Amino acid sequence: MSIAIEADNLVKSYITRLKSGFLRRKKRVLEALKGVSFTVNYGEIFGLLGPNGAGKTTTIKILATLLLPDGGRARVAGYDVVNEAEKVRDSIGVTLTVEKGFFWKLTGRENLKYFGMLRGLSGSRLDERVDYLLEMLELKRLGASDRFYEEYSLGMKARLCLARALLTDPPILMLDEPTLGLDPPSAREIRNLLTSLADEGKAVLVTTHNMFEAELICDRIAIIDDGRIIATGRVEDLKRRVSNRIAVKIFVSNPNFGDLARLEGIVGKVGFGVDDTGRAYIRFTCEPGSEDRVIADIIKFLGETNIRVFRVDVEEPTLEDVFISLTGRTGES
Amino acid sequence: MVNWTHILRAQIFSIKCWYKNNRWMLISTFVWPYLMVGTLFGVGLTLGSIDEYARKVGVANPALYLLASSVVAMSSIYIMYSITGFILQNRWIGTLPYIFLSPVKAHTIMIFSGLPDAVLSPALTTTAILPAAIYFEGVTGAWRILIILLIIILGMLPLMGLSVIIASLLLILKEESNVMGSIIPFMLLVSGVYYPLEVLPRILQLISRAVPTTYVIEATKIVSTYLIPEARLLMTALYMIGLLTLGYNLMAASAIAKLDRIIKYRGAL
Repeated sequence: MSIAIEADNLVKSYITRLKSGFLRRKKRVLEALKGVSFTVNYGEIFGLLGPNGAGKTTTIKILATLLLPDGGRARVAGYDVVNEAEKVRDSIGVTLTVEKGFFWKLTGRENLKYFGMLRGLSGSRLDERVDYLLEMLELKRLGASDRFYEEYSLGMKARLCLARALLTDPPILMLDEPTLGLDPPSAREIRNLLTSLADEGKAVLVTTHNMFEAELICDRIAIIDDGRIIATGRVEDLKRRVSNRIAVKIFVSNPNFGDLARLEGIVGKVGFGVDDTGRAYIRFTCEPGSEDRVIADIIKFLGETNIRVFRVDVEEPTLEDVFISLTGRTGES
Repeated sequence: MVNWTHILRAQIFSIKCWYKNNRWMLISTFVWPYLMVGTLFGVGLTLGSIDEYARKVGVANPALYLLASSVVAMSSIYIMYSITGFILQNRWIGTLPYIFLSPVKAHTIMIFSGLPDAVLSPALTTTAILPAAIYFEGVTGAWRILIILLIIILGMLPLMGLSVIIASLLLILKEESNVMGSIIPFMLLVSGVYYPLEVLPRILQLISRAVPTTYVIEATKIVSTYLIPEARLLMTALYMIGLLTLGYNLMAASAIAKLDRIIKYRGAL
């Protein structure tokens, strides 16, 4: 897989001024990025996961050439973001925030045409592309193509944002919180679309603080906190880092605890319990990757002892567990 | 490859859509010079006579002169606002970063984004007073208005460089509304739109020599007063416009790369 985005030790500080009197302002240096490095490959969705203020948007803005880094280097589509900014911009589609960024008194179609012209599209090629995107993102079906942007719902705005990012069919997408504030069906549709875009071979960089979403769509994740990348890898690998055991719960009927005690010979230490609905269960832990074999052995054993199995729950650590374990905080903080 | 023509075309398209979707805006553009002159006449008549005004300001037709002055004043505002206001408005509605994501140099966007509006708005306001010019002076009046429009467009050239510098400063200072709110009224004050520059304090008179609109208004006055001996002054005004065009645009060209870097370094987009 070839590399689409390469960030190497990016550093960025902002100078802010806090009011300290009627006319006086105190200077404060805010270190937004303290050496961020990661790579994104073509054909994958890479999630930059972190709480608000962690440095996600700053990273996207540097990669999109809207902001100059103080230190470090970054290449997008093989081009340097500082010295070859125009070529970088020619290779990317960007969304920064879904709730604004269009002209209120222009329709969705007119807005897309305007931004398409700024990207060098014109004539029938522009018309066809705009038409295709309105169709693909279902704005046509929703009757929103020729409605003023000011009349759009948040879900429609998010779709239009994505349509703009796809105007030139760029090989690389950088999306800052693309589903923020969307209702669950709209968020799901956007997620499905991102997955299909990655399947087409595009590199998709997504920032989010939504653990569920990151876990659902991202092939790889970088956890960013306080301007530093604290972990990078596949979701499963990150989970393994914080927990080397997987918990399994098997719900059963007519348990014979004498027989069940013999399970310890198969899986080691076994716990028994009853849930809120009165259903009995067996709980044990096993090595990640061995759960299928262990569960099969236990089900075979239970079958031999005439204990009926109702349900099997495999409790993996969530991405939130990973995040809390690495940062000591929840993703919302 | 994307270039300045794409930026121009996109802006023309957005202006076309804006007027198509806001018809009242278009209507008011045509009506306001008359409302302005009506108000000025109303106030003026309570203080003195029209003849007195014509004699003191040195114009043959006060009505036409005031209409032309209104057009020049509004055009100057439009031109300044088209380029600096472009930054301001787009930052407020969140479109600025997406415009700057166009794969061209940032200063190409700054120069060419405001240009169509800067030409179209004066053209529309000038067209608005065309019926009055024809009513007062027939075909000659119409020609005179067209010459005024040409002078306005000429006067726009130095304002372009000046506006790009101001637009960059707006982005860097992040105090857009304060800066804009001060610059435009000040420029109108020192350019002698509605009264002779001679009534201003000496220091403001000196400053006015560096303001491009001053020469646009002088040239407009000369054209609307029709005085042959003043033709030499008209040439002087046009010459000054040319000089300021060179000065401000050279200044902008030398500063723009540095300003672009500062804007992106500070995260102003």
